[in-house]
Amino acid sequence: MASDDPVQKVAISGPTLASMIQRISTSESDIDGLLFGHVNSSILSLSDDDPSTSTANLTATITSFIPAPTKPYFYNSIGQIDTPKLRSLSLPSLTLIGWFSGRRQTQSRPSMREFGVTRSLSATSEFHFPVKDSDSNFHFAPCLFLLLTTPCSSSDPTIHTYEYRAYQFQSASLNFEPRSIDIVNIGPAFRGHYGNFITTSVFPMLPFDTRRNPMIVDTDVSLSDKKKITNHQRHLDLYAQGFDLAKLSGLIGSEAVNYTSSLEDLYSSMLAKLEGLARQVENSNALVIEKENSNMKLRYKVAGLD
Amino acid sequence: MASSEVLPPLIAAQLNHLIVHSPFPVKVEKLWSGSKKRNLLDRFTLLIPFCLDHIRWDVIYNVSAPMAAPDVIFGPDDDTFSAFLMEPDRRGNNKLAMSSLVDWNYRESFRLLNLILELREQYAAYQRKRVGEVEDERIKFEISTISHRGGIEMLVTGVEKPEEVKFGVPLLAVNINEMVPGCPWRLQQKIQLQVVFPVVKNFALSTNPSAPRLKLVSSADLRALLSVEDVKLPPWSSGMCMAEYLPDLEDTLGKQVVECISAIDVRRRFIEALAVVFGRPLEADSVFCRRSSFLATSGVFTFLVHISLPTQFPRQQPSIMLQSAQHFNSQGSPIKSTPLPDYPWSPRWEASQMAERIFEYLVEECLNFKKYCNEMQQY
Repeated sequence: MASDDPVQKVAISGPTLASMIQRISTSESDIDGLLFGHVNSSILSLSDDDPSTSTANLTATITSFIPAPTKPYFYNSIGQIDTPKLRSLSLPSLTLIGWFSGRRQTQSRPSMREFGVTRSLSATSEFHFPVKDSDSNFHFAPCLFLLLTTPCSSSDPTIHTYEYRAYQFQSASLNFEPRSIDIVNIGPAFRGHYGNFITTSVFPMLPFDTRRNPMIVDTDVSLSDKKKITNHQRHLDLYAQGFDLAKLSGLIGSEAVNYTSSLEDLYSSMLAKLEGLARQVENSNALVIEKENSNMKLRYKVAGLD
Repeated sequence: MASSEVLPPLIAAQLNHLIVHSPFPVKVEKLWSGSKKRNLLDRFTLLIPFCLDHIRWDVIYNVSAPMAAPDVIFGPDDDTFSAFLMEPDRRGNNKLAMSSLVDWNYRESFRLLNLILELREQYAAYQRKRVGEVEDERIKFEISTISHRGGIEMLVTGVEKPEEVKFGVPLLAVNINEMVPGCPWRLQQKIQLQVVFPVVKNFALSTNPSAPRLKLVSSADLRALLSVEDVKLPPWSSGMCMAEYLPDLEDTLGKQVVECISAIDVRRRFIEALAVVFGRPLEADSVFCRRSSFLATSGVFTFLVHISLPTQFPRQQPSIMLQSAQHFNSQGSPIKSTPLPDYPWSPRWEASQMAERIFEYLVEECLNFKKYCNEMQQY
């Protein structure tokens, strides 16, 4: 297997694509950024008699993206990757599988520089990653390119049209191969895809003791236990607001049926936590936009546009 | 372009430099905006002459980063050109890494021109490579026999399977610009021969090949001196190749160019003879002597006589048109006659006789024109 074996299709979740389009439509001009996700392999046996004809079926799944703060950011004018900048943009917990470019009012074909960037990115072995569910231990290159454009001649500004195309770069032939895009949404038709999207936020692992009656508040605990409890409580506070750790252990075990109201309390406290986070994001976003606008003004000033 | 639309100064400087200083005429086909407010123009389509045809390249700047180098989207048939650009050359260098894109400096307005010149040169090499890969013995033979001539451009048309191969062959080693006294042309004028071969797979040299399509093409300004459509091409006999055909053609063409340049003096003498009878011309083309206009009166009727001279003068007679200085149509423009048909003319007359006969003819004809003007004005 090679690092750019053809993928059968590219899957992207509806919300990821939608938020990418939203990001492009709200940006001042063209933007680009990185794509994260994974590549899965499933062995397809074409014939029952002859196992040698079986072929690995590769599916690339885009689970998230991050836009670059400016364009160009992680590559230079001839499309060579700036590895330190690229590293600073990606998160270690995510796998880089390619990049995207969003251009307004341009033809839906990869440009000269997009070709260069994709080629350079595929060739950077540091970013090669293993394929999931594959018995052979080969690494895949981040060779995917997602191009989002708006048509050149849209006369009506009230209608927003976006074209999106996925390409896989083939290093051997120096060629962009178009790939079909599967948009994965929630619903019975997409049940098979559920496994492809892994939650990134899981409930914390907390130890619980079934021997203890959760409703009896222990007054006689050692200092180290106290420390442990505070630690766990702090952990829980990351996910829910104002929910007592002691109450949580009551939700597990034989007596759980009696505590449905406690469960509802847990959910509402989790929601309260989310709401608080949302408000924080809202406030910080307002600051970011303010900063972006003033940057834009400065940039225009430098460009001689006042 | 709506009045609210602005071409950012940094981009405008680069584009203007390209248009003014390009050694071949580059046209901006479309200029539009990629910004959210749609008022800052930062992308355009360039129409670049290549192999007696045009290539369309979209140049994409980013208005949010006008200091950054632009990007280019090539034509839909040239999807392998980007790959060609990134192929290492003989010394192992990436061709693009040698271009003016590296260390792009937005303050240097010549950068875009340099980039387009470099890319066009690479594009010519790319097409040469593609033509070289066409499996047609005749085309391979043609390339091998004319490769010593400089400046030949070639092009494959048809994407999946090549249908035709076009050659643009520059003719005549002489500098026509230098041959014209007081030459006004900024660009070097050229005459080229377009040769179009159909691609025949498994072509055997022994079979009788069909003649290619041939067409002479000149740069636009050269029309003032000679029109290549009038040049009779020598016949392409069966089994011929370009290397055999071109010397004869260049011979004929070279003579025609010399003839056309001496024809300027013949026309000049005619205009000078007209001045004797009509008086000093209001306006005259002093370089190629293709046009002159005189003011004439008949009683109180004042009119202009426009005389245009063909490149084939005196074999072809001039075209004469009258324009009233006193009568205007409903749109407010002066009333003009159609080109006057049957005025006395013989190419064998002396220039002075030609001028006198035209003058005598117009003494009568202007009365008809006056009547025509009066009638036209009544509507």
